[in-house]
Amino acid sequence: MFLQQLITGISIGGIYALLATGYSLIYSLLDFSNWAHGEFAMLGAYVAIVFANMVGVPFLVAALLGVCGGALISFLCEKVVYRHIRSTGAPNMFLMIGAMGLSTIFQQVANLVFTGQYRSFKFKLPVSTIEIAGAYLGVLDLISLILTAVILVFLIYLINKTKFGLNVRAIACNSRAARVLGVRVDRSIASVFLLAGSLAGVAGILYGMKYNVFPTMGNIGLKAFVASVVGGLGSVPGAIVGSLLLGVLETMVSGYISSSLRDFFSFALLIVLLLVKPSGLFGVDVQDKA
Amino acid sequence: MKKALSLLLMAVLVISLAATAFADSDTIKIGYIGDLSQSTALWGNAGKYGALEAIEEINAAGGVLDGKMLELVPMDGKGDSADSVNALRKLITDNGIVAEIGTNFSSCNIPMASVADELKVPIIGTAASNELVTIDEQGNLHPYSFRMCFLDAYIGTVVGTYATKDLGLMKGALFTINGDTNSEAVGQFIEDAYLANGGEFVAKEQCQAGDREFRAQLAKIKKANPDIIFVVMNDYAMNATFAKQAREMGIDCMLMGHDGWDSDQLAEEAQGALDGCQYVSRIGFALPEANDFADKIVEKYGGTKETECLFGRDGVYWIVDAITRAGSADPTAIRDALEATEVYEGLIGQLVMNAETHNPVMACEVFEFSTDASGAHVKTPVKTVEAVVD
Repeated sequence: MFLQQLITGISIGGIYALLATGYSLIYSLLDFSNWAHGEFAMLGAYVAIVFANMVGVPFLVAALLGVCGGALISFLCEKVVYRHIRSTGAPNMFLMIGAMGLSTIFQQVANLVFTGQYRSFKFKLPVSTIEIAGAYLGVLDLISLILTAVILVFLIYLINKTKFGLNVRAIACNSRAARVLGVRVDRSIASVFLLAGSLAGVAGILYGMKYNVFPTMGNIGLKAFVASVVGGLGSVPGAIVGSLLLGVLETMVSGYISSSLRDFFSFALLIVLLLVKPSGLFGVDVQDKA
Repeated sequence: MKKALSLLLMAVLVISLAATAFADSDTIKIGYIGDLSQSTALWGNAGKYGALEAIEEINAAGGVLDGKMLELVPMDGKGDSADSVNALRKLITDNGIVAEIGTNFSSCNIPMASVADELKVPIIGTAASNELVTIDEQGNLHPYSFRMCFLDAYIGTVVGTYATKDLGLMKGALFTINGDTNSEAVGQFIEDAYLANGGEFVAKEQCQAGDREFRAQLAKIKKANPDIIFVVMNDYAMNATFAKQAREMGIDCMLMGHDGWDSDQLAEEAQGALDGCQYVSRIGFALPEANDFADKIVEKYGGTKETECLFGRDGVYWIVDAITRAGSADPTAIRDALEATEVYEGLIGQLVMNAETHNPVMACEVFEFSTDASGAHVKTPVKTVEAVVD
């Protein structure tokens, strides 16, 4: 039973990780929590489902369009809302309030356009499993885990080994100094929003394939945010570890204690961590945020 | 000239008012409250469409009381108790409705019942199954509050008894939603009936509202090896996911549900994971005419085939039946006629009314899921459980 719970926990944590890394990337650059991030996942999933189910394009093409949709919406939010708030010199709190407003607007729009009805992709994988030492893993979970792992490895490579990543890390350390040294700050920030939005799009589509697509599915972003705080806000590896830890913790609590206490333990972990190690497990400081 | 113009304007105003009054006297307004815009709008709108369709049918056939036309006045209660109460007050005081249909939530209909009593206009809850919808905490009847669904106690008892007596599955597991009034109440009544009939529970697990991951709890249930799992959730997406995850984990026992499983989407979403599984609900979709009506609603208004459209339709016909018997569209006369109803035959089934509690009892139908030769995932009625009248 332990192995089963562990596999389930990692599977849940994988979805959290795709979202949590987006939170972390944006926080590392702009020092605010983008509360609309979960809605990018939801909107990306809706874009994919519209193309797959209504337009009738092949599923993989629709999924790609959904990822692009999540990225584009994230990019537009930065371009139209966040950049303007930043340009007024307003405190970062205003960015967070703006994000909350966007989150509510996106949910309401989705409700109006698509209604509260659950939608599912017409493309379905059969209900089948792989047995690993007495534990069962669904085929879709396996695909989801592999895809998530590949994307996250690529993301870490992108941040640590490319010029784009260097620019992002430079802005995260000190955006003024980076600008003086020739880094195009606004362009890099916009690129990070594109990247975070596309990760959210992938998360939304995987979530939609495993379960359903519905207007409030972006609320999963709250758990991803907790995971990114646990891992250390601003740290991409921290967000991944925090997500896996949270996924496993939730499953173990549900499996061995009580599912009613699942969120109690998740948020208790958050509070304890904020008291003991406010910078999170990976303890990033201002000099080393991304 | 000015004087003539003023007289003309006054004359127009008087004629307009008279025309409005005349038009109003020829129109009987029925209110409808449901969630029309939020997360459960699927049901709220289905009920509204069913009521609209019924009114169209009745008006096309000449209306009621020698040609008076019916008009539905829908209002969005958003599935929220405060919004629903406000909507009811507005419908009665501003729109002049003579009766109201909805909501499908006990949490909304319980406070609405007091408003209906105060303003003396009858309301009919659709799927609001909590006892307090018609009888207050002191045991007093809300004279103006009615319902068309069975109580949590009734369906819970039928499910628990059927599993033991008819299916002989004596080792059970119970799965409910923590903090969900309907899920926990029905679950408790299933448990009581199951134990009373010799059943034994080997596992009891809960999830939280909106959950999509059940594998942690399913791992424990699997270890307990039950013959049957009672899955008491109203959300078809949660039920379908539960079934798929159970099958993925190698749990192959009977999954059984209550009327919360009564969504046409469930079979398709479960992708065969529910094949051989059963649920007990109102007769409704076992009747060809109910299916025809629901198909018509889906074709005309879109959405999915939901029991709520039958409730909306039956609510209108029941009110019209009361108006006809009373010979009046006065709200108090309608209330008296609703209370005097002994049996009402609707598309959701036959309601045997109880004047002392305003709670109907009705026969139930057992539905079973299967995958047909064409690969379509379907549900079919397999057995009728006769109504248990107190």
